Amino acid sequence: MTKNENPPLLEIRNLKVNFHTYRGEVKALNGVYLKIYPREVLALVGESGCGKSVTALTIIGLLPDNAYVLSGEIIYKGRDLLKLSKEEMRLLRASELATVFQDPMTYLNPVLKISTQLEEVFMLHEDSLKEAVVTEKVEGKDVGYAEFLAMKGNPKALLFENHRVSRGEVKRMARKLCVDVLRLVKLPDPERILQQYPFELSGGMRQRVMIAMALARRPSLFIADEITTALDVTIQAQILHLMRELSEKINMSTLMITHDLSVAAEVADRIAVMYGGNVVEVAPTIEIFKNPLHPYTTLLMEAIPNILKPVDTLKSIPGTVPEMINPPPGCRFHPRCPYSMDKCKKEKPELVETSSGHEVACHLYGV
Amino acid sequence: MKDLLVVKDLKTWFPIKSGIFQRTIGYVKAVDGVSFTVREGETVGLVGESGSGKTTVARSILRLVEPTAGDVIFDGINVTKASKRQLHDLRKKMQIIFQDPYASLDPRQTVNSMLMEAMKIHGVVSNRAEARKRALEILNRVGLSEEHMYRFPHEFSGGQRQRIALARVLLLKPKFIILDEPTSFLDVSVQASVLNLLKELQKEFNITYLFISHNLAVVHHMSDRVAVMYLGKIVEFADKNQIYNSPMHPYTFHLMDAIPLPDPEIRKEHALLPGEVPSPVNVPSGCRFHPRCPYATEKCKREEPELLDRGSDHWVACHFEINFKKVRT
Repeated sequence: MTKNENPPLLEIRNLKVNFHTYRGEVKALNGVYLKIYPREVLALVGESGCGKSVTALTIIGLLPDNAYVLSGEIIYKGRDLLKLSKEEMRLLRASELATVFQDPMTYLNPVLKISTQLEEVFMLHEDSLKEAVVTEKVEGKDVGYAEFLAMKGNPKALLFENHRVSRGEVKRMARKLCVDVLRLVKLPDPERILQQYPFELSGGMRQRVMIAMALARRPSLFIADEITTALDVTIQAQILHLMRELSEKINMSTLMITHDLSVAAEVADRIAVMYGGNVVEVAPTIEIFKNPLHPYTTLLMEAIPNILKPVDTLKSIPGTVPEMINPPPGCRFHPRCPYSMDKCKKEKPELVETSSGHEVACHLYGV
Repeated sequence: MKDLLVVKDLKTWFPIKSGIFQRTIGYVKAVDGVSFTVREGETVGLVGESGSGKTTVARSILRLVEPTAGDVIFDGINVTKASKRQLHDLRKKMQIIFQDPYASLDPRQTVNSMLMEAMKIHGVVSNRAEARKRALEILNRVGLSEEHMYRFPHEFSGGQRQRIALARVLLLKPKFIILDEPTSFLDVSVQASVLNLLKELQKEFNITYLFISHNLAVVHHMSDRVAVMYLGKIVEFADKNQIYNSPMHPYTFHLMDAIPLPDPEIRKEHALLPGEVPSPVNVPSGCRFHPRCPYATEKCKREEPELLDRGSDHWVACHFEINFKKVRT
């Protein structure tokens, strides 16, 4: 997927987010622009503190209490997510916007069995479950996760009247879908895993359970925040492979947040690089690796040891990640940039499209 | 080159105690028979997944944990049998840099007092003036300056802290440094400069490194030879190009194949390894890799393979000679 004619599923415009702290205002996001198209995997890459996770948290409306949105809009299916009420956002998170975070143990309830936690998610779609039960009864078709995805849970009102669906039947259907979705994320022996508690599972298995729980919501947008960071290389390869497979099978977009360019290279269709609270470059994956434009992107690629192109000395980026309470004026990268000009110290560069689908925010490429 | 460090059949088991009498009911076999050598001036990389025993090997070499069995011979002296006094002298020559620079520096000591303390304990210099001169010299060498001398650790970034830890170690003029995941807490843009510094220092002071990391690309960049650990044992030990390009052990092959590469054009189907690392409490019988190994046979379930030289210093612990396709050409 290089060129996208479809309108974006989600569009972030000029998003600015600050955090109140005792030490001062942390200017975490400084006018982020980002588009996520239907069915694509977009990787958001950057170092710690660059605002990747804050961007994700703003999308799902889970910013901490000390954070506030200064400006901007997040258009999702024609609605501005920032204008929705808490309850509306909660419903969206329960269905269309599914998120998986880095450490699965913190997000699973340690005292509940996997079955309880996973069934609960399916039970949020009770109408669809009823529809599934009726479909099985009337049409004699076997309903799996794939069929369940298409169910809306309302049109067969007539059928509902003729076929009373008991609570037990709904529960059984939920259980059946649990097994199905665990199989989809390649967990061996799903029936047994449903009877286990989170502590009985390994890190990789827990992360698969989290992905299954996200899928159970039937997401349009799947946000994966550093989901492989805590895992070992061989397990990471399994999970990345799974993510790619899922994005091909299921009609959803994926926002993959990672600090690792190699991970992004493995799964993403497009890559957005963030630095100091801004998206500084966006391009299709192959394009950005072949032809990185922003000095930060270029330097970052040369700073990572590459097995394919071993070098004696790595290029290092002078200085450190900017302090976000008093960020540098103008382009936030200018103090570390080898091409810094006077203009960079005064004016913040805007994202401009240099070639088809390749956008960069740098005065070197300005109009 | 002569061997600076020889590790022979090192075992470090941690007892599991239970019940009111704290009876030992089993062992966590963190390191279970590890042998390798480190030659003077080289960097040996030690890789493996979490729980494979990399850090325990490092700590056992320095006797920060007491090994259960085996020998560690450093520069002709058996570390495992060294007396307290000998150990004190040895530690001047063998040092370690830890992973987390937020935990390894005393938050209530200034940089100056940390550096002075290190020199005092080991009697490196004879008077204060000399100590101060030397501390400044080293601090400059690792990229910090005099103004940093009287600051506390919380005033520094992760990369700077790791430089302070490095300065503290270098003051003692060590011959051998164990680097236990020295850059895993650092950001990528900072990591490069620390790795470069480590390489420069090695040349300048003729230091030997044992470099431990789970980041295979970083190990490739830093090492001359690489040892791969799986569940408390070394399964393969060879020149880094051998290990990364033409591995001989099935685990190494899958590990190398699983490395995500920063090149989307060669995005490929990985030969995925099924399952996960088993617990070191219940080590599988025979070859400990057999439950996950796609090539396992009956023999693998019964007999544990030995780490043997397959020629040109390529050590492999596998019953079979499997011809893998090259991971990379």
